[in-house]
Amino acid sequence: MTDSRDASPGESDSLLDGAGEQASKMLERILAAAQPGAVFGQPVQSGSYTLITAAEVTSGGGFGAGMGRGPAPKPDAGQSPSAEAAPTTAEQPIGGGGYGGGGGAMSRPVAIVAIGPNGVTVRPVVDVTKLALAALTASAAMLRLRRTMRRVRKARAD
Amino acid sequence: MRSLMDIAGAREASAEPVTVDGVTVTPRSRTLVVRLPKGGFVWNRPTAVLVEQDGRVRRIPIIDVTRVAQMGLLGLALLTAGASLRRARRTEVPA
Repeated sequence: MTDSRDASPGESDSLLDGAGEQASKMLERILAAAQPGAVFGQPVQSGSYTLITAAEVTSGGGFGAGMGRGPAPKPDAGQSPSAEAAPTTAEQPIGGGGYGGGGGAMSRPVAIVAIGPNGVTVRPVVDVTKLALAALTASAAMLRLRRTMRRVRKARAD
Repeated sequence: MRSLMDIAGAREASAEPVTVDGVTVTPRSRTLVVRLPKGGFVWNRPTAVLVEQDGRVRRIPIIDVTRVAQMGLLGLALLTAGASLRRARRTEVPA
């Protein structure tokens, strides 16, 4: 994150240029996940088998930049004498700006390609934790729906 | 105005082929790329391997079992919810 105070128009331009540079670098890193090499690992030799891992890769990110300018605030009566003694900057506008961004990537194993004496086989990788969580969530939602409907039906019958 | 093809695009690509004992395996992947003015998104997943042996090419699909099971569970939950709602509506209608 970059912040500038009392930024002149030239400084603001350089700030935006810097933001653009950082943004294009970040976008390059995000788009690197689009290469097939990001999905398939390097072949690994294990006994008489050669194994290649295959994974699903998801990545994303975003960035933004902003700046603003305005007149300098008038000195208050309660300010220190040194502030009062300072020359007025009412004619000189002050401003600030900044840029930032964020992103993330996720990879999940999907299968293992095995090249061996029996030929080429694709063995799936099952994420048991993910499936158990999905099953629990689905059954909890179904049970809740059934209970709610039974309650409504009972209320209507009464 | 940017066209939809500039913003989002899907393509299938091949990774570096691997040759072991005369068998050439070429992994294939499908990529979805979304380019936004202030960011981007990439979804890359394996689809198949092309096996070339003795001059013949065979395609072995890579199935994401976890995703298929997840979608199955979601479908089952939606079906159950739909059936329950239909049953409740039927009992509401006076004879």
